Amino acid sequence: MPQPAQYRGMALVIPDNDSEWIEYFQHARQHRLVMRACPACGLMRYPPSPACPWCMGLEWTWREVSGRGTIHSYEVVAHAIQPGFKDATPYVVVLVDLDEQRAVPTPDESLRIIGNLVRPDGSMESEREVAIGRRVRVMFQDVVDHLALPQFTLTDEPPVGRVWRLPE
Amino acid sequence: MATSSLRDKYCIVGVGETEYSRHSGRTTRAMAVEAVRKAILDAGLRAADIDGMMSYQNGDSTPANWVAPDLGIRLNFYMDVLGGGSSTEALIGLAMGAIEAGMCRAVAIFRSMNGYTEFRIGGTGARAAQPVRGLDLAQVPFGMRSAGQNFAMTFMRHMYEYGTTSEQVAHVKVAHSKHASQNPKALLKDRVTVQDVVSSRWIVKPLHLLDCCLETDNATCVIVTSAERARNLRQRPIYVMGVAGRVSKPRTDFHWAHGPISRVAGYYAKDIVFGQAGITPEDVDITGSYDAFTFTTMLQLEEYGFCKKGEGGDYVSSGIIELGGKRPNNTAGGHLCEGYTHGMNMVIENVRQLRGTADDYCPKAADGVHTYDYGPRMCRQVRDPEITMNLGWAMPPTGSALILRR
Ligand SMILES: [Zn+2]
Repeated sequence: MPQPAQYRGMALVIPDNDSEWIEYFQHARQHRLVMRACPACGLMRYPPSPACPWCMGLEWTWREVSGRGTIHSYEVVAHAIQPGFKDATPYVVVLVDLDEQRAVPTPDESLRIIGNLVRPDGSMESEREVAIGRRVRVMFQDVVDHLALPQFTLTDEPPVGRVWRLPE
Repeated sequence: MATSSLRDKYCIVGVGETEYSRHSGRTTRAMAVEAVRKAILDAGLRAADIDGMMSYQNGDSTPANWVAPDLGIRLNFYMDVLGGGSSTEALIGLAMGAIEAGMCRAVAIFRSMNGYTEFRIGGTGARAAQPVRGLDLAQVPFGMRSAGQNFAMTFMRHMYEYGTTSEQVAHVKVAHSKHASQNPKALLKDRVTVQDVVSSRWIVKPLHLLDCCLETDNATCVIVTSAERARNLRQRPIYVMGVAGRVSKPRTDFHWAHGPISRVAGYYAKDIVFGQAGITPEDVDITGSYDAFTFTTMLQLEEYGFCKKGEGGDYVSSGIIELGGKRPNNTAGGHLCEGYTHGMNMVIENVRQLRGTADDYCPKAADGVHTYDYGPRMCRQVRDPEITMNLGWAMPPTGSALILRR
């Protein structure tokens, strides 16, 4: 795949021998959110990694997930340090609990993933909309022909648990 | 947890630092040489007495084996490790191990950084332009690169789970600014109020500008040797009671996978370090809880058991952490006000406090004569402290700790 991909002034480098990421982003380009799953114990993990953190298994398959989840935490960047994000401030970064494998294999563990909170058209969502507990779904931001970034957008599903945002 | 211990067998015998500034105008090599030299002289040692040297850095400094020969030091052991915060305490433990193994006799540990004029911690400039690869692909493409951006979701979740407020944690900055006003070396000597903190501009919510530490040019050094050797040196020996180095949560690569994300590494480190020292938090007179941000101080104090988990906001806003309070924290002003050193200045300060020679505005401070008047431009010496503790922070899932006594 052509290297690197340019996105917001950053050079994203995913060489052909990047055994963790290359297929992940190829799936993302097809607008599929996939996790590595361990054939031995059946558990999924993120980010993609060369071994299973629960059974040390080296085998893996890609398993598609729904991309639906709940905002576990978030931040609002008012002062961007990356030049390509300066015109996007204030922008929201969310930590999402994916619906699959919540509190598994222990109550402390979940499949979590980070992305920007965006509108369905891909522009940055207003910080006034973000809250812990609100529901989101994945959407894909096409960067170049071979690369898309998974992002998250709000849904109108009922929230999970207490809804909270930083007081103004 | 039962751990073996080298309690009271090793000492910090010398400390030294350069000016804390934003205009060093010289190399990290030149600054390291000054800090190491000062620490050697502080200890009453000669160059020939130092035969071990360690440093930590992030590709932004000068290695130990370039610094030692500048001072005529021949090394039997040296090592430069990759790392920032939490390295100081970890390297003190490693230095003890190197001496215990018979590899060397006295180790100078330094950190030298042009943290403002060359490599800014915040990730601006050259750091912001670095290619994004490997694990960074899980965060950086989403505008999450600087330390504040990497930690903010931990802080936000703590506010959600425990009701912690911006005003409560602002007291950390208030306390440290008070302490810095009694420190001639401090980069910022002006006292601030809670209102000053919460009305300063947002950097990354929930962090305001004044919740964040100061990028600084400086070098710092401590010298570790055996207690046996320490007893005949210039300064009162300061004994290491316990040390824990870079203790980590189950995941450090993408620590968000393992919750609660409001839990930090001290949860795992506390049993190691208190177990070695054989004391409890109640026995500690002064803390040095790493203040990369106001929140990091608060999170660690509660995780190490100075208050209950979730009550850190109450603890830091109660007055306990201020000079004159029950257990002051970062009595030189810490990273928020004295200067950003990746942890070393907080260990140096605790050593000086235990010696009774905090270098405040008291005219005879070096002789241990203090007024104990904690007004601005006055005294910052705590009265007769016996035990101090440093709580080092690398990131939410990794931290170190060090317990010292006089
Ligand atoms: Zn497995």
